[in-house]
Amino acid sequence: MLRALTEADLRFRYGRGPGRFLRWILEPFALVGVYLLLITFVLDRPGRAPGLSLAAAIVPFQLVIATVANAMQAVDIRRPILLNMRFERKLIPLSSMFTESTAFSASFLLIVVMMAAYRIAPTSALAWLPLIVVVNLYLAASGAYAASLLGLWLHELKLFLLSFVRMLFFLGPGLVPLAATSSRSRDILRFNPLSGMFEAYRSVFLDGHAPAPWELLYPFVIATAILLVFVPMYGSEQREFAKVV
Amino acid sequence: MISVHRAGVRFYFDRHMKVVTRGASRLRSHGTTKWGVRGVSFESLGGEGIALIGPSGSGKTTMLRLLARVYWPDEGQVAVRGRVASLLSIDAGLLSLLTGRENAMLLGVLGGLSRRASRRALESVKDHSRLGDAFEQPVSTYSQGMRARLGFAVAEETEPQILLLDEVHEALDHEFRAVVAEHARRLVEAGGVVVVSGHDHQMLERLCTRALHLDKGAVRNDGPFKPVQQAYLAAVQAASEASPTW
Repeated sequence: MLRALTEADLRFRYGRGPGRFLRWILEPFALVGVYLLLITFVLDRPGRAPGLSLAAAIVPFQLVIATVANAMQAVDIRRPILLNMRFERKLIPLSSMFTESTAFSASFLLIVVMMAAYRIAPTSALAWLPLIVVVNLYLAASGAYAASLLGLWLHELKLFLLSFVRMLFFLGPGLVPLAATSSRSRDILRFNPLSGMFEAYRSVFLDGHAPAPWELLYPFVIATAILLVFVPMYGSEQREFAKVV
Repeated sequence: MISVHRAGVRFYFDRHMKVVTRGASRLRSHGTTKWGVRGVSFESLGGEGIALIGPSGSGKTTMLRLLARVYWPDEGQVAVRGRVASLLSIDAGLLSLLTGRENAMLLGVLGGLSRRASRRALESVKDHSRLGDAFEQPVSTYSQGMRARLGFAVAEETEPQILLLDEVHEALDHEFRAVVAEHARRLVEAGGVVVVSGHDHQMLERLCTRALHLDKGAVRNDGPFKPVQQAYLAAVQAASEASPTW
């Protein structure tokens, strides 16, 4: 059922036909690719491989924000089905996450291009990547459950909520690595669950070493806390979805 | 098969009279509530067609959604045993950007078929819906009748024991109405239940032997179709004579 919901969602997202694959490949480049190329080849930015460092933050962030944006309207776009039949509605936020993870997989090409541009070879640290991706998906899924409900409850504040998530990119080590910030700000920035994600991607792609335990554990704990709060709420509220769509 | 005991469905409104969820109503002040249906009780052991009749806003659609388990009862109990297929909205549960084939696949899986069974059923859905080449086109290009035909063809594939129809059959052409009537007859003969709402009483009479007259969210009358229908029409006539004319 989850697969069927996700496939339908993907057709909404990418359409159908041969152009679908092209759009899937090009979308991440259209979103941030030009900016990364500017950082890499035109602007003189301090630090080691600034384009790759930035890409390592943008890729996990894109998954989270795209999932949140999708989940906010996930219930609304399924209005005809919700009004017509009973099905497991708890799967709706998960299908948002899986839909956006397809776009996410294409955005890894950005990292490959950046590694090639800076001539940084992959290392054995890449073995950590599956675990990092799982934590990233878990964090995105937790955001999806929260966003599905908040999108329904605070319909008129959807854009503000999305801006809040976007703000988390800048209130974390998105533009520069954590090591490039002052020690005081470093302690504060670590409270942002995205900080660990950004740093974990940088660890394996840029620095070639395993991520520090906090980089995965902290986002995992925060995602679990969000799920513990929002999944039971979602379970109770989903009974009312057909009344409000 | 169907047992409804003092069931009620409550709607929550914010101060702008927009329907909100119960959780959202707690976040917003000055909200109100209204019962869509309340204190409704009836049973069906199977082998019958039940018509829901009553004026617009009397709770027919709410009742059908309750039986389809699209709505949960806020009070009382609703027990529905058996595979349910439902056509409860004018768009027949179809997503307009998807093609007929894609919708049929999705609805088949959501309706309880496995992916393989749903894929296997696609050609049969195409034949039964009589959509021809339109089956490969987005549903946004369909007329209401075409949507209802596709929705019904998918519902048929899930081999329901309980069929719920909310006015959608009224969008169908005469030829397909006959198909729906035949399907409903076979389902009832096999011991299933068909629950239909609508304002086309001729069609309802073809499908149902029993009627429930709903008014202001409550059951006013329950019994054989003809007497209940006549009592309802008499009440409508009396009400229109009592109220001033244009």
